[in-house]
Amino acid sequence: MNQSNQTLFETFKYYYKQTELFFGSLKFAVVIILIFALSLGVGTFMESYHGTDYANRLIYKSLWFMGIQFGMFLSILFATLLRLPPKKHLYGFYVIHAGLIILFLGSYITYQSGVDGTITLAPNLAAREIQVNEDELKIQFPSKGKEVSVSLPYTALKKNLNYEYEGIKLKTFLPFAENKEDWVPVKIEDPNQSSTKYHLFNDNFGEYLTLSLHPQSDFNNTQKLGPLNVHYMPSSLISCFSQNTTEGLIVWNGENTTCVAPKENELKKKKNINGQDLVEVNFDGQLLRFLPGMSPLPLNEAQELNEASPFRIFSKKLFEKSPHLFLFGKSVAFFNKDTQKWESHGAPVNQDVPLPWMGFRVKTLEHRSDAYPTMIPHYIKPIQDNGQVITGNMKAVEVEVNGQIFWVTSNSPVAFNQSSERVTFDLSKKNLLLPYELVLDQFKMDTDPGTNNPASYESFVTLFKGNEGSTKHHVYMNHPLKHQNFTFYQASYYQTQEGPYGSVFSVNFDPGRFWKYLGSLLLVLGSIWHFVLRKKIVLKPGEVRA
Amino acid sequence: MLNFVFLFIISLSTALGQGPMNFCTHELDTFPVLSGGREKPLYVLASETIRFMTGKEKIGDLSATEAFCKLSLKAFGMPLELPVQIKVDHVEVRKFLGLNENDSFIPVNDLIQKGEELSTEINKIKENNSYKKELNKVKSRLSTYETITSARGWTIPVKEGQKILFLPLSEFLSEKRVESAQGQGSNPVSFLFDKAKEEYLSVKGEHYLLELKYYKWNLFVWALILSLVSIILFVTLKNKIPGAVLTGLSITLQLVAITIRVLISGRAPITNMYETVMFSGLGALLIGLGIFLFRKELLFILAGLGCNVLSLMMMKFANGMLDEGISPLVPVLRDNFWLSTHVTTVILSYAALALSWILSNSLLIQAKFKSISSSEYRYKVDLIYTSIKCGVVLLSAGVILGGVWADYSWGRFWGWDPKETWSLIVLLVYMAILHGRYTSWISPQRFVPLVAGAFMSVMMAWFGVNYILASGLHSYGFSEGGALFLGSFFLIQIGILILSMRKSIVVG
Repeated sequence: MNQSNQTLFETFKYYYKQTELFFGSLKFAVVIILIFALSLGVGTFMESYHGTDYANRLIYKSLWFMGIQFGMFLSILFATLLRLPPKKHLYGFYVIHAGLIILFLGSYITYQSGVDGTITLAPNLAAREIQVNEDELKIQFPSKGKEVSVSLPYTALKKNLNYEYEGIKLKTFLPFAENKEDWVPVKIEDPNQSSTKYHLFNDNFGEYLTLSLHPQSDFNNTQKLGPLNVHYMPSSLISCFSQNTTEGLIVWNGENTTCVAPKENELKKKKNINGQDLVEVNFDGQLLRFLPGMSPLPLNEAQELNEASPFRIFSKKLFEKSPHLFLFGKSVAFFNKDTQKWESHGAPVNQDVPLPWMGFRVKTLEHRSDAYPTMIPHYIKPIQDNGQVITGNMKAVEVEVNGQIFWVTSNSPVAFNQSSERVTFDLSKKNLLLPYELVLDQFKMDTDPGTNNPASYESFVTLFKGNEGSTKHHVYMNHPLKHQNFTFYQASYYQTQEGPYGSVFSVNFDPGRFWKYLGSLLLVLGSIWHFVLRKKIVLKPGEVRA
Repeated sequence: MLNFVFLFIISLSTALGQGPMNFCTHELDTFPVLSGGREKPLYVLASETIRFMTGKEKIGDLSATEAFCKLSLKAFGMPLELPVQIKVDHVEVRKFLGLNENDSFIPVNDLIQKGEELSTEINKIKENNSYKKELNKVKSRLSTYETITSARGWTIPVKEGQKILFLPLSEFLSEKRVESAQGQGSNPVSFLFDKAKEEYLSVKGEHYLLELKYYKWNLFVWALILSLVSIILFVTLKNKIPGAVLTGLSITLQLVAITIRVLISGRAPITNMYETVMFSGLGALLIGLGIFLFRKELLFILAGLGCNVLSLMMMKFANGMLDEGISPLVPVLRDNFWLSTHVTTVILSYAALALSWILSNSLLIQAKFKSISSSEYRYKVDLIYTSIKCGVVLLSAGVILGGVWADYSWGRFWGWDPKETWSLIVLLVYMAILHGRYTSWISPQRFVPLVAGAFMSVMMAWFGVNYILASGLHSYGFSEGGALFLGSFFLIQIGILILSMRKSIVVG
């Protein structure tokens, strides 16, 4: 060994010793144990308030928490190395710490190469897909027969994605999202594509309504609230609803949204050759003929229904029997049963209008035609209540194709046309395929006598192993099915629409299991050795050691 | 239909010159019923139900069984009014129901009138906070009342082949059945009930009556008295034999009671909060006794007795938090060897740590009021250390057994479930103290208050996970039974720590 190597070795030895002394010190142990315990404590509150998945993503399975655990590992490892060569009174200590080191290594093996997922078994259908708790976005190009899967980051917070594939850009990922109403500006303002928010309420009940005529809005122009039907219409139609005519007929032009409510002397009632009621109306100098009992469409020259015509006819009488509320932006109309008359009222923003049903009133909150309301995913911290995550169950990815931005959520797949080619996006959990198939033959649930409380869940399954034939298995609580290193546990169940029950197994492959059990055993034996068998007792004042 | 049957019964009974209400007597205590998935004596069902509704053991002068029976007969048009007072705990709920802040009961008829308002109010509140929870509870107390008074709360055994089925009273007293019993015995209804009980006994035997004895004997109350008296005897008498004898008796009574409970439920006695408190109390006493045999120090027995008395008192008086009833287990907990060993070990470890908690707190208080020589202080610190060692070994074994159980039941060794995570936190807290003892950070003077305070982590793992964490974000913590108990515990413990801090002990 030459001189410089010698020094290098000495330097290395010096720094190693320093490292060992630092990480192996009792003070470092106390600090890292307390940090670990504190993070766990915070984690349990996060779990309680925001659900298991959030706590896992934020804390238990996060990188910084891995770091703390690695710190624990270093502390244990160096504390042991510092106390070598072995001393007799520390045998218990070595066993405890060796057990812990093995336990950590076993956990790491499980973390790296274990599988923890679920498999859903629909009755009598073969299943081989294991769902694991990782999100991915599948982009499919059906015409090319191509599919791309993008793994999404395991994060608790909103994260920017820098992913681009054939002109498709993935911009943001929201691991916990909720749809919130948002106004999107329109390029060309059209008063007939307006949108309005209302508050409908009485003393006991209140409901916010968002109604829109804009074709791209997620909101409709009709809504049913119990027995009440709400219709949202272009504001120019109010004039026809406010008039009380004998026939109650309204003719409107869908093209420019104008209407007439012809009075008795303005329409001609006839019978056509088949004896049906025929009505002739003069609309801005144009003579229109309708069969109001048959269709809202006008007739053409050949006395056939003209589907191309922008004109429609309908009778208000249809809306007199049950409660119908017509909203026209800043005005309302309804049929008042007491007076047997149609009424219309102005409804300026923030003023409420009394309605003739159960003391209900309606208030206009916001009326716009320069923008339309639609549901856009927003990041939200999930909220857990009574063991169930009640908000923030949705995940969403913001996608940009050809300069157009839209959201893909875990609620449903989205199809999009990219330069005349159809592309579908599906945000869901990652799947693994088993090399064999499971079929649920029957799911059985027993209840405690005289109650609906489940007493046991049992699944009868057939395992198909390709050429090796098939075997029958009975899987129930604490009696899992083990096959080729995978273990299937009865975890949950659901009822299908057709009636029979489907079953959910949790599926597990744990290559670190042996090491975890070995480490645990050493830890317990070591503790007993260290604490119980090692007698070092402080004597009572005045007592003499025997 | 029901009314018709009862008019018929009344006419029959009056004809026999015997009021029908004489039917509801103490003899019904032993009548077998099916409730909550288990067969039990009517006494148990009646007591549980009356206690749930009213918070009391009796209604007026009537015992629970008599009251339950009479309320059930109401369904048959019996013209009677019992002064049933439904319990209302939450101040805001009291106000909502038009009660004074200090009135904790509402007459059931008033509540029935407000039934609809109650449902509207429950639907109106979106968040599942403690106010809504109490509203729901009051509503379920009311619906329990309605179930009883429509004769659906009481089930009657009926023999079909060699099997026993249970029918609700409303179905059991059918016109056909009463008619067929006419002329048999002095009163056809009594005849039918006697027959039902006989048939039940012929198929299932008297095993269910064990539960009646369990509740009537009140063994835990006797054990509480014995443990209390033994503490007094140990402290006041020079002769330790009387204390030892009573301690032995107390342990025996508790063992008998736990055994009976196991026989009734057919499972290990550690599956709900009540049972863990019960088990830990006895566990602490036994561990104290065990360490005493090893270290010959009476303080361990006294500390064990202290824990024992505290847990027996909780079982007797903390009914709002600990439910004494025996109910069937959820599927995953059934037939589970690992669960039993895991919970037993963890509870025993908590019991051992409770010894260290009592010893360290008493040392703190003692040091506050009188001077302690440094050698005595060191000796007592060592006693505390001994119980911690015991607790830590048991706890690490318990946490690991929990992993084994989870692996066995769900296929994963560790899932960061709050209960298992908190048991690990407890272990870490005590580990930090034990490691810190070898550094300059934790001197003996600091060790004692740290150990006293560390028990708060045990209480959090034991009760807090169930009463604070499980209720979630929207219950706003400390307004309900369990959380209130835990909050007070933390306050008192922190109070002791602060008070004892002011005088430092001179240790050489």
